[in-house]
Amino acid sequence: MTMTRRQLVASIPAAALAAGLPRSAYSQDGRKVVTFWFGQANSDGQAALRNDLVEAFNTSQDKYLLQLEVKGAAVNNLLKVALVAGNGPDIVQTAGPAYLTAIANAGQVLPLDDFAEKYKWKDRFLAPLLNTSVYGGKLYALPRDYESMHLFYNKELFKQNGWKLPTNRQEMEEVADAALAKGIIPFGAGNADWKGVNEWLMTVFFNNVAGPDNVRKALAGELPWTAPPFVEAVELSKAWYNKGYFGKNYFSLTIEQSFLQVVNAKAAMAFSGTWSFGTKSYGMSKPDTVMDVMPTPTLGSAFSGSLVHLACGATLSIAKTSQNAEGAAAVFEFMLTRKFYETMNRDWPGKWALPVKDLPPDMLQGIGYPLFEKTIANLHEAFSKGQYGFTTWTFWPGATNSYLIEGIEQVWLNKITADAYLTRMQTLFAQEAKDGKVPPLPPRTA
Amino acid sequence: MWLFALPALLINICIILVPAVLTFTAAFFIWDGVGTPMWAGLANFQNMAADPVFWSALTNNFIWTAIFLTVPVCLALVMAAALLMAPKARIVVQSIIFLPRIIAVAVTGRIFQGMIFSPATGIVAWLNEHGFSISDPLADPDRSLYAVAAVDIWHWWGFLAVVFLSAMRQISVDQIEAARLDGAGFFALFRYVLIPGIRPTLTLMLILTVIWSFQVFEFIFIVTRGGPAYGSEVLATFAYRHAFFEGDVGQAAAAACVMSLFGLCATAVYLWLQITDDAQST
Repeated sequence: MTMTRRQLVASIPAAALAAGLPRSAYSQDGRKVVTFWFGQANSDGQAALRNDLVEAFNTSQDKYLLQLEVKGAAVNNLLKVALVAGNGPDIVQTAGPAYLTAIANAGQVLPLDDFAEKYKWKDRFLAPLLNTSVYGGKLYALPRDYESMHLFYNKELFKQNGWKLPTNRQEMEEVADAALAKGIIPFGAGNADWKGVNEWLMTVFFNNVAGPDNVRKALAGELPWTAPPFVEAVELSKAWYNKGYFGKNYFSLTIEQSFLQVVNAKAAMAFSGTWSFGTKSYGMSKPDTVMDVMPTPTLGSAFSGSLVHLACGATLSIAKTSQNAEGAAAVFEFMLTRKFYETMNRDWPGKWALPVKDLPPDMLQGIGYPLFEKTIANLHEAFSKGQYGFTTWTFWPGATNSYLIEGIEQVWLNKITADAYLTRMQTLFAQEAKDGKVPPLPPRTA
Repeated sequence: MWLFALPALLINICIILVPAVLTFTAAFFIWDGVGTPMWAGLANFQNMAADPVFWSALTNNFIWTAIFLTVPVCLALVMAAALLMAPKARIVVQSIIFLPRIIAVAVTGRIFQGMIFSPATGIVAWLNEHGFSISDPLADPDRSLYAVAAVDIWHWWGFLAVVFLSAMRQISVDQIEAARLDGAGFFALFRYVLIPGIRPTLTLMLILTVIWSFQVFEFIFIVTRGGPAYGSEVLATFAYRHAFFEGDVGQAAAAACVMSLFGLCATAVYLWLQITDDAQST
């Protein structure tokens, strides 16, 4: 059949219209399709997603067909636009409660309370994590994982130099000074490829200097960010930066390069997150003979001992416009199976550590990654008991968090004072609190 | 005649006019990008004016404009004139200097970041190992803008040289030969024959440079993301950060309006020059 020029021209708008229509909700074999956009995933991660999630789910039942697309770093922006256009995926994954807040407040995702009731999710997830997705008494998301900042260190280097593991600020500075004297960088750190490293560090300073109780008060609006404990935290971060504790090339090194400094004994320690376990290029091995990890010790007088920081690296919701909410919920339920938990954490450690009560991390024993097993077990215990600090990327609202990341560079590089930095942060936070943009705080005890 | 223009007009209305009007409208609303926009009047512009980062970003756009109106233009003019005088080398040299233009911006950015400026893996590292004390300019808030500008100049000037060369080749050979017979050297020829001969092209490129300089985004976003400490922040990165990291689309739209304002001014100057030229030639 030949097409006239007129027919061809007429077909263009029709084709454009068809492209804009929602995709078929059914697969060729009659199964209802569930769509899911994922953000960044390295090659290991993509293989794990393909094998442990998509194929495993699709073969586990014959009612739904999960279709997952890895969208890359811009997924959050794509998702917002797609949701507003009513053309997003069924499963809405955000980069954590701070991102979820706007989407939930705008009603772009469904309340999950009915599904939560049906599948008893409220009884199965750890309350501190689940509560980060409750808005106006309704549950809008499930936490995909838990994360925390930790102190990673080269245990061989510590052993060779006779350094004791630090338990407070003084001991930490003694080790750092001893390392500097030997030409070793105290903390491997670099933000050339991801400015978010600034907030990793500030999460540690705010919580471990000012103490988690003060941070909680500030997030609840009971204490201004300009209060002395936070000034002390910012001043300490500046002092450490200026002393060279983070090396001379903080703004030039990538995360991978800076972490490798620790593995290669050019740096002694690194403040990094539990996601480091799942990133092979960081150079850690299983089992690890060089590296070790511990919760970050206190850096002030607000508390003693060490602290983990409550973080939810990603949330999972169902789009308001989803044609297959049941299927999306079935995928969530599949994620709660023992098999998925084991295979995903074996193949991509740290990325999908679901914070659930009925799948305790002792299940991870035997996956051959002792550091990861130990860390997750500690986190599970601390979060269960309500002993934790608060990560900036989970609990700070968007504009305040963006300023926390960008503005701290001005402090470190002597462009503004700590007071000016915190005053601006307080102004932004007060406005966002007024606008209802602060993510919900978990209850004081689990 | 309108029928002939209709397809182009429709595309322009859908792809340019509608988003432009929506962006302008968004500047008067508070909107997080997903919820319901709320009328804000001039609040976004007032907040922006009160933000010191906006003013430093605007200043950086002016610095960027000044750099790109001079450095690559001068380099390109000299190179174009030299190639006009040396036809045998033209093909090879043009290919070489044009090459950076066809390399993807992301690749160019990463090459300079990782292989040249990096104190761990770049030429800077090698120089430091051989006794030169050089720091990464991208890590210095007072130098990062100039360092990124250097990357963009490397990417841009060859293209400009090729444009200028093709314009110079339109100049009458008789005119050039006559100048030479009159004893004009390279610089006299350049000053009194070549530059006046390519004036319309030069003007257009300068005007476009002003417009593009207020829209500059990719290189800065890829190489420094506007940092460190807002050292290389420009209006486009300022707008992007507000729209996608801070969930403040209204503020981002207000910044975009300021960017467009300078582009409109440059366009108005260009149109005025065209009208003046037309008036003089009739």
